Amino acid sequence: MPSIDKNNDRATNEFNQYVKPVSLWADAWKRLRRNKMAVLGMWIVAIYMVVTFGAALLPFKSYTEQEMLHINLPPSFKPAGVVALGRLEERKVELEAAITRSGRADLKQDLTRIENEIIQLKGEVDTDPKHKRVYILGTDYLGRDMLARTIYGGQISIMIGLIGTLTAAMIGIVLGSLGGYLGGWVDNLIGRFVDLMYSLPYMLVVIIIMSMLPTGSNSIFVLYIAIAMISWLTISRVVRGQIISLKNSEFVEAARSMGAGSGRIIFRHLLPNSLGIIIIYSTLQFPSFIMNESFLSFLGLGVSAPRASWGTLVSEGVQGMQLYPWRLLVPAVSMTVFLFAMNFLGDGLRDALDPQSKNRN
Amino acid sequence: MSRFIVRRFLSVIPTLFIIVTLSFFLIRLAPGGPFSGEKKLPPEIMANIMRKYHMDEPLVKQYFRYMGDVLQFDLGPSYRYKDQTVNDLIGNAFPVSVMLGTMALGTALLLGTIVGITSALKQNKWQDYAAMSVAVLGISVPAFVVGPILMLIFALKLKWLPTSGWLSSRAGALTLIMPIITLMMPYFAYIARMSRGSLIEVMRSDYVRTARAKGLKESVVIRKHVLKGAMLPIVTYLGPAFSGIITGSVVVEQIFVIPGIGRIFVQSALNRDYTVIMGDVIVYSIILIAANFVVDILYGLLDPRISYK
Repeated sequence: MPSIDKNNDRATNEFNQYVKPVSLWADAWKRLRRNKMAVLGMWIVAIYMVVTFGAALLPFKSYTEQEMLHINLPPSFKPAGVVALGRLEERKVELEAAITRSGRADLKQDLTRIENEIIQLKGEVDTDPKHKRVYILGTDYLGRDMLARTIYGGQISIMIGLIGTLTAAMIGIVLGSLGGYLGGWVDNLIGRFVDLMYSLPYMLVVIIIMSMLPTGSNSIFVLYIAIAMISWLTISRVVRGQIISLKNSEFVEAARSMGAGSGRIIFRHLLPNSLGIIIIYSTLQFPSFIMNESFLSFLGLGVSAPRASWGTLVSEGVQGMQLYPWRLLVPAVSMTVFLFAMNFLGDGLRDALDPQSKNRN
Repeated sequence: MSRFIVRRFLSVIPTLFIIVTLSFFLIRLAPGGPFSGEKKLPPEIMANIMRKYHMDEPLVKQYFRYMGDVLQFDLGPSYRYKDQTVNDLIGNAFPVSVMLGTMALGTALLLGTIVGITSALKQNKWQDYAAMSVAVLGISVPAFVVGPILMLIFALKLKWLPTSGWLSSRAGALTLIMPIITLMMPYFAYIARMSRGSLIEVMRSDYVRTARAKGLKESVVIRKHVLKGAMLPIVTYLGPAFSGIITGSVVVEQIFVIPGIGRIFVQSALNRDYTVIMGDVIVYSIILIAANFVVDILYGLLDPRISYK
């Protein structure tokens, strides 16, 4: 049995060796650090957070600025002017070949237009600073930088994930602990309501709400609420279960015998002991918020222009994916990597905070 | 048992009633309507249209009229497709979605359990790691990313499969492959992870040790004892999986241009075709509720420890 040595306040084990007391959190942290995939996930999530939320401070290009001469440029480390010029010259050769081969006079017009563009671009390429830009991930159909758009899209997607998770956790904790602690008709009422909401085809309800919004309204805000409103169900059930299993334990009885009120018991004793499981479920829900938001944006019912989320970018990318695959792949890959990292982190947290979990799979 | 079924069945009615009522008022209270289109109609014509569809009546009266019709299985006319009733529209699209959904769920269940069992039996070997990496990938990548990327690779670049369409087109059954893969991915992944986890847990349990101690062959232990116990969580998961596949098919039908109820749903939501949205919501809710109902009963049949009061 570890015991506390009165003189120096340090814990000793049964062999009379001094041991540092280990809290639940330190223990969990140790377990988490041992899980390589979870650590990798944590690093990736941290990098994403820093880059997306620090985007304004970092030297990225504007995500709204359009440049007609730079439309649909492929990813490249060369300056935009050089890439655009190379593409125009390629097109010119193709056109000339087509004209001489099949004698199509109707292409002459295109040829002269391209020749003029080449002349214009050649004149500007060394003087105009905009042609010195480098689009390492290419540009989209309006000549906007894909890197900047993906980063700002990530900002919106991650924000929605964060706000959704927090709201869902709040509502879930309050209703779950109320139902679990009070029991009786309150619990019954909340339970019935949760059951009802579960049997609702909720994404369809969100689709209805989003499509009914008058155009030009602040759809992001409604989206936050709509997604959060239906996502607290799981957390509230989990919290309720945890509270019920804890409320008859000895330490709660001890607190009550010392005169602690219901509020104190819930907030000081029951909730801190449920925090682990709340964190686990919140982390695992986070990616699903991002997926739901992107799902709506993909259908054209989510974030509206000029703002863009990952879902909007993917759906824009789908439009021209045969000719300009990077417009699809850049946002799709960035989003997937983030969701991947979040899932690994969530799994790692579950193993770390709840080592005896029945749900390990 | 039969009392439980009856009681469970009766509890479906208020749920359905609340869903229909809720969506009716939600849709009607929103600004704009099916006829507020691009060009403004003269007020007299507008009034005539409104009268024809009883939309000039008070909302509550419209509600009772609608409920009365629904009870007689009449979902009303479509406001957009003037020559078709909602029953026609949904009747044509429903089999398509059901076919897509059941095929996706069936494939997910089959592949998921096979992969799950393999990796549980080969725990911590390379097969296990490979399978579980694929599973995390399946859970992390959303359908609207999987779909277009599959399309880009197999239809546009390699030209092995047709890009879109449904059975009736020239390519026939080949059109099914990509939609089914896209739709089943997350469920396949989840089922694989779940069956692996629960299999490992069951294999460590006392009754399996007893079975081994009796001298049963390993294959018999797995088949007769482990699998039966390990499949329970998967059965519970089928309810949520089914509802997920239904909503998931909205996106998949959109990507691959499949004439199912998901496509109709998005289209009518954008067109504010009230009756079609309502009809779709009712159909979806019935499917969902029925799925949960079946799962509850199955669960009782598989697990003798559960008693119905």
